[in-house]
Amino acid sequence: MAGLGKFLVRRALTFVPTLIGVTLIVFIIAYVIPANPVRAWAGGEKASQAAIEMIKKEYHLDQPWYDQYIFLVKGLFTNSLLDPLNQEPVFTNIGNRFVVTFQLALFAFFFVVLIGLPLGIISALKRNKATDMVLRIVALVFISTPIYVIAYLFIWLFFIHWNMTTLAGIPPGPPHQITHIPIIDDVLTLNWSNFVEQVRRFWLPGFTLGIAAAGVLMRFTRNSFLEAYSRDSTLFLKAKGVPKSRLYRHVLKNALVPVITILALQFGGLLSGTPITETVFNLPGIGRYALQSIMYLDFPALIGVTFLYAIVFVTANLVADILYAVIDPRVRF
Amino acid sequence: MAEEKVGEYEPREEYEMSILDRLSDRLIDGLASFITLFKKDWKRRNQSRIKEWKLMAYALNRSPPALLGLVIVIIYIFVGIFGPYLAPWPYDFFPVNYNYSTQLAPPGSTYFLNVTELQNGYIVHYMTYIHYPLGSDTYGRDVLSILLEGARTALVLDIFIILIGPTIGIILGLISGYYGGKVDEVIMRVTDMFLAFPGLILAIALSAVLPGRIQNFLNAHVWAQTLVLKLFALHPRDVNNLGKLLSVFVALVIVWWPGYARVTRGSTLTEKENLYVEAARAIGLPTRTILFRHILPNIIGPILVMITMDFGGIILTEAGLSFLGLGAVPPIPDWGNLINQGSQQFPQAWWLVAFPGIVIVTVVLGWNLLGDGLRDILDPRTRRSLEFKLKKKGKGGESNA
Repeated sequence: MAGLGKFLVRRALTFVPTLIGVTLIVFIIAYVIPANPVRAWAGGEKASQAAIEMIKKEYHLDQPWYDQYIFLVKGLFTNSLLDPLNQEPVFTNIGNRFVVTFQLALFAFFFVVLIGLPLGIISALKRNKATDMVLRIVALVFISTPIYVIAYLFIWLFFIHWNMTTLAGIPPGPPHQITHIPIIDDVLTLNWSNFVEQVRRFWLPGFTLGIAAAGVLMRFTRNSFLEAYSRDSTLFLKAKGVPKSRLYRHVLKNALVPVITILALQFGGLLSGTPITETVFNLPGIGRYALQSIMYLDFPALIGVTFLYAIVFVTANLVADILYAVIDPRVRF
Repeated sequence: MAEEKVGEYEPREEYEMSILDRLSDRLIDGLASFITLFKKDWKRRNQSRIKEWKLMAYALNRSPPALLGLVIVIIYIFVGIFGPYLAPWPYDFFPVNYNYSTQLAPPGSTYFLNVTELQNGYIVHYMTYIHYPLGSDTYGRDVLSILLEGARTALVLDIFIILIGPTIGIILGLISGYYGGKVDEVIMRVTDMFLAFPGLILAIALSAVLPGRIQNFLNAHVWAQTLVLKLFALHPRDVNNLGKLLSVFVALVIVWWPGYARVTRGSTLTEKENLYVEAARAIGLPTRTILFRHILPNIIGPILVMITMDFGGIILTEAGLSFLGLGAVPPIPDWGNLINQGSQQFPQAWWLVAFPGIVIVTVVLGWNLLGDGLRDILDPRTRRSLEFKLKKKGKGGESNA
C-alpha cells in the first residue's frame, strides 16, 4: 500500500487535462451555436436592447473566446456563475438536482446487484445447460431493451394497472438531514414513514434504469466466474477432493475481484445515464437539467453539468482502480 | 460404470454435416469462385483461408442463438433496403388532412378518406379507404408503413456511422499503440476526454447545435442533397428536414470512436511485441503496411464483435435521440419518433409505443445475439476443435466401410 499516495497524486494529475478538455468541448459546442443565446436568456423576441447588452456584459460575451472560457471556468470554481434562466449559481442548481439523481442511481444500483450477481452466478454454475442458455438470452434482452420502451411498459403495469407507485412530484426528505440524500437520512434517523414514501416514488425509475446494467453485470459475472473456475488452483482443489460447496466458495472469492471493480464503474455509469429515465418518470435530476440546458441554449448550466459528469467519470475510474488494488494483493502501483 | 459414461459422452464429440453446413459450404465455394473471376488463381492460393471460413460457418451453424441473431439481422437489412417499396402508404401522405378521425386510429380500424390532391397541375378528387393493421400516429399515418420505411432511416444511419466512427477509432488506436510515447499520450488524453462525456449528453448537445450548419451545407451542394435523399428514400420535398437527420449522424460518429481507440490501442500494445512485427520492420516494410496488413488482422476479432454489438447500440441511441425530439422529425419516418408521439398520448395510444418498441428490441437483440455468437466463432480454439471432430467423423466412416 506504500505506493498508494504516489499513485493517487499521479492519477489526479491526469484528471486535469480531462476536466479542462471536457469543459472546452462544451465551450466549443456552445461557441458554434448559430442562434443567439443571449436573446433567449433575456426573454425571447421581445427582449429590450438594453437587457441584451447587460447580459452580454455580465457573461463576457463581448470579449474574445479565451476570456469567455476563463470567465466560465472561474465562475464554476467560485460558484459565482449564474444560471441565466433562474439567476441562481449553477452549482447550487446542480446540487439540488444531484440529490435526486444520486438517490435514483442508488435504487438502480440496488436492483443491478440484486438481479445481476445471483443470476450471473447461477448462469455460470449451470454453464452450457438450458438454464444458462435462457439466462444468457435474458441478459441480452435486458441489454437490448431501451429505457424509453420498457419504462412505458412498466408504467402501464405498475402505475396504471396495479397502482404500486406514484409519478408526480418527489416526496420531501426527512426533517432531520445528515447526508442530504433522503433515503440515507431516513435509514440513519429511522424515519420509516418517509422511507416508504421515498421507496414508493423511486423504486420503479430505479428498476428501469438498472435493467440494462443488470444485464451487463450478469454477463460479466458469468465470464468472471468461469475464468476463475478454469484456473489451476480449482483443479488442485478438485484433485484434493474438496466438496463442491467449498470449491465454489473459493472460486467465487476469486471471481468477485473483477466484479467489484466493474460495480464501481457501473455506479458512475448509472449516475450519468439518467436523462431519459428522469424525463419519462418526471424526476427533477441532473439528466433532465442537462437536457433542458441544451434545449434552452443555456450553456453556463451545460458546462456545469458536464463538469460534474466528468468528475463522476474520473472518480468512478479511480475508485475502481483503488478497489482492485485493495482486493487483489498482487496489484502494485 | 465409468465406461458407460464414456459411451454416453462419445457421440457428442462427433458432428455430422447438417443441411446448413452443406449450404454454407456451397455459399463459401460460390463466393470463392466469384472472387477468382477477378483475381487470378485466388481460390487455389487461398485454400486455407477458405477452409477457415467454412469452419467458422460450421461453428455458427452449431449455435442456435447466433443463427437466430443472423436471421433477424438479415431480415432487418432486407427491410432496410426494400422497406420503402414494401410499405402500403407513403410516409408523407397525411390522412388526417382528409379525415380528422384518422388521428391516433387504433389497430385494426378502417377509415374512408375524401382526398383532394394536386397531381401534375390538376386538382384530383377521389375517395379511398385506409386500413390500419397497427394503428395510426398523430398525423393519421399507418404505423406499419412508418415502421417499414423507418427501417431504411435506421439502417442507413447505422451503416454509415459504423463505417466512419470505428474506423477513426481503430486508426487512432493503432497509431497510438504502435508509436507510444508522446503521440500515445496526446491521443489517449483526447480519448479520455470524450469517454468522460456521457455519450448521450454529447450527442444531444451536438444534434441540437449542428442542424443549421449541415442544412446550409446541403443547400449549397445539390449533389449532396440528391445523394442523401436517395439514401434515405425521401421525397425531394423534405430537403429542409435533412439537416436535423444528419446532425444525429455527425453527433453519433463523434460519440462512437473513443471506445474503439482505447480497445485497439490495448491490443496493439501487446501485439506489436511479437516477433513477426519485428521481422516486418527488419525487411523494411512501411509502417502503414505493418499496421494495416500485419497487426490489424491479428487484433480484429474482438473489434468485430464490438462492431456487431454496436450496430444495435447505434439503433438504441439514435431512437433515443428521436425520442427526445432531436434528429428525425416528422414527416421523416423514424422508429424513435413514433415512440416520442406515443409517449405524449400514453396510455391511450399504446400502439405507438408498443410496436416500434418491439421492433427496436428485436433488431437490437438480433445484433447482440449475433455479436455474442461471433465471439465464439472468431475464437480459433472453437475452430480447431470443430475441425478435429469433423475429421474424426470422416475417418470413422471410412473404417466402418
